[in-house]
Amino acid sequence: MIGSGGRVRARAAVLAILCGSCFVAAQEKAPGGLTTQEVARGYKEPTRWPTYSGDYTGQRHSPLTQITPANVQRLSAQWTFQTGIIPRRGYEGTPLVVDGVMYLTGPFNTAWAVDARTGRPFWRYRRELPNDLTYGNVSPVNRGMGLLGDRLFLPTADAHLVALDTASGDVVWDSVLADYKIGYAATAAPLVVKDKVIVGISGGDFPTRGFLDAYDPRTGKRIWRFYTVPGPGEPGSDTWPGADVMSRGGGATWVTGVYDPELNLLYWGTGNPNPLYYGEDRKGTNLYTASIIALDADTGTLKWYHQFTPHDTHDWDSNHVPVLAELTIAGQPRKVVMVANRNGFFYVFDRANGQLLVGKPFSDTTWARELDSNGHPIVLNDGSKGCLPDQWGSTNHMPPSFDPVRRLFFVTARETCAAYFPVKEEIVPGRISNSGTVRRDADRSYGVLRAIDPLGVERRWEFKYPTPTMAGVMSTAAGVVFAGDNEGNFMAFDAASGKNLWFYPTGAPIWGAAAMTYMLDGRQYVVIGSGTNVMAFALPIG
Amino acid sequence: MRTLAAVTLPGLGSNRPADSSTVGRTIDEEERMSLKGLLCVVSFVLCAIPAAAQGPQNSGAVAAGATLYRARCAECHGSDGKGVGGHDLTRLWSSGATDERVFQIIRNGVPNTIMPSSTAPDGELRALVTYLRSLNGPAVAEPFLRGNAENGERVFSANCSSCHAVNGRGGRLGPDLSRVSQSRAQLTESIRSPSASIASGYQSVTLVLRDGQRVKGTLKGEDAFSVQIMDTNQQLRAYMKSSLGSVSKEPGSLMPEYGPNRVNESELDDLTRYLDTLRAPATGRGRGGRVEP
Repeated sequence: MIGSGGRVRARAAVLAILCGSCFVAAQEKAPGGLTTQEVARGYKEPTRWPTYSGDYTGQRHSPLTQITPANVQRLSAQWTFQTGIIPRRGYEGTPLVVDGVMYLTGPFNTAWAVDARTGRPFWRYRRELPNDLTYGNVSPVNRGMGLLGDRLFLPTADAHLVALDTASGDVVWDSVLADYKIGYAATAAPLVVKDKVIVGISGGDFPTRGFLDAYDPRTGKRIWRFYTVPGPGEPGSDTWPGADVMSRGGGATWVTGVYDPELNLLYWGTGNPNPLYYGEDRKGTNLYTASIIALDADTGTLKWYHQFTPHDTHDWDSNHVPVLAELTIAGQPRKVVMVANRNGFFYVFDRANGQLLVGKPFSDTTWARELDSNGHPIVLNDGSKGCLPDQWGSTNHMPPSFDPVRRLFFVTARETCAAYFPVKEEIVPGRISNSGTVRRDADRSYGVLRAIDPLGVERRWEFKYPTPTMAGVMSTAAGVVFAGDNEGNFMAFDAASGKNLWFYPTGAPIWGAAAMTYMLDGRQYVVIGSGTNVMAFALPIG
Repeated sequence: MRTLAAVTLPGLGSNRPADSSTVGRTIDEEERMSLKGLLCVVSFVLCAIPAAAQGPQNSGAVAAGATLYRARCAECHGSDGKGVGGHDLTRLWSSGATDERVFQIIRNGVPNTIMPSSTAPDGELRALVTYLRSLNGPAVAEPFLRGNAENGERVFSANCSSCHAVNGRGGRLGPDLSRVSQSRAQLTESIRSPSASIASGYQSVTLVLRDGQRVKGTLKGEDAFSVQIMDTNQQLRAYMKSSLGSVSKEPGSLMPEYGPNRVNESELDDLTRYLDTLRAPATGRGRGGRVEP
């Protein structure tokens, strides 16, 4: 633990002794950053949103109840923060809020601390990035930061992990994750777990080898690394044709995972094998790409895994936010982890041992409709029988949400129709290795918000969007579901019925981002990123 | 010491009038502040390279450098080099910079600022350096030869670190001094008379709440309806003006004057020597970058 309240209080005490006239207010508050326990408590403290998904479960289901299905029609814009930086795709981050201060990031490794009441900035950080970025140039996104004590943890487009001081934005330490020149970058918000900062890596579309890392929040020193593609002779290496292919086998970890404190296990998704579409030179199932991995948080040791898409050739990463919950299955309470996967299937596992409990399609995919005894899809259509879901998949990295009381999993699904044209290409470090192209039939593609029962994977309700959308979902205990679409509407739905209750045209696609919420001055704010902006909404006063 | 508020950043509008707040000022100031690294790295340097090694000016190179400067530098540093969003570049050599040092900064950029690195040919950068040198007066750098850095670190820890950070450790009420950008004379003034000039983003402010409670801090931002500060507990705080009785921007620094009775001349030498040793080389990016095995 670093930067606890104790440390900051001690600092203030020294200040008070040394400085004469300026300390009128020195004792007025007991300041201090969040402890590990407070980070773990997540949004159970109503004024906080201290980690990417709000808490360790990944449910993104806030306990706040001021905004309800009955009053959400009155939701009004409160402020807009202009990042001023045009993203290549959309604003993909989730801001953090602690003690009335919002910490947010923008593309190209900008970060701000702003007043969560007005959006007015306190400080701004902007990293100087090299001119020869690789993945960071193709996709200069940032999805947020981790927070512990008085430090923020920012992943960067040149594949560093940077610690910033929460009060000033000053760099505290700067550690190299990997060589960006090969194709690495870091985009996913780190996850703070006890005394470690867990951070994933991006760049699986380049000839890189994925990993998940843990760093010491005090020093930036690496504690452990788990490679998502094994080394020669290691378990799983028999699913690859050779060491050279494994050394650039992909399997990036570019979406923030979740954590079970009781089991001390991290759950994290892994990305596509490399190269993307041409698989003839990497024959085998290509472990542990397109999988979920469960790792011991202290050591990074693999406890269990499940590969969703063996030998993927459609760029169907499994980089999703896994969702932890307790479900009653066959009369027994089970601690589960749920994944709505890019390959079109919805999965429920016993999260202690990885036993597959449920595996059914939540989309209309024709690729496969059932799983075999190993939990692998029985492929019905390799593309020769008509279109397949496109390379963005049946859902993507946009966060889903889960309402444990109503037992509904809310996911943005994409129903698309695409054809794949793989091509053998030379593999060059630092160059993207698509090895093919994809053509999508736009007329036969759309997006849809679905409420799914996680046991039967039945659709309880759905709301159709005109085009395939990449907006995430947040739900609340009051029964409101916040989502958005590719046309730029930020929307609220009745969790029980799926009825659309409110919408606000933001002016740019809501792309990759999901909403977050917090209480401040007795008001519930709901925040979403769209285009170059971050916007806050609340009910009118009075 | 509280704020080493007199971190004089030439061209950054020191001693800003109390009523100069405007909407959006914080970002602009932050951006300018972030550029302090340029001068920081430049001005502390380096007195180690003899003046004779800095080479004669060349009128052809000056002209070529001027053309390059207008195209690539003037947007931030101004057409006259005195700084717009970027630093005043007309005092580099007088602060102790050398041709080689300026060259390396242009080549590598300044870590954690918007001053980028450059891939231009060496010849172009040399021409730029020559042009910049033509904008500068004679080098009158004052070496940091006096003082004991180890003792200076103790002086810093005892007097300064509660409000100033160095390499990630210390307070945040005043500017980070990891690469402070001043000559010894400027540093001395900052310590002895901190209100002489105040770095952007560190103006002293006192808020009086409706209940009469007074909150002091440094002003980070303000608009017609709200004000953002760092209070003296070093916490970021924001207030709606409707909840305040008054907002008073003070002309002086929050930092007290450190006269000879608090830091004697010997300690002052030690302290400035210590700060001089902190200057990180311009490695291009990522202060403290670390490669793990």
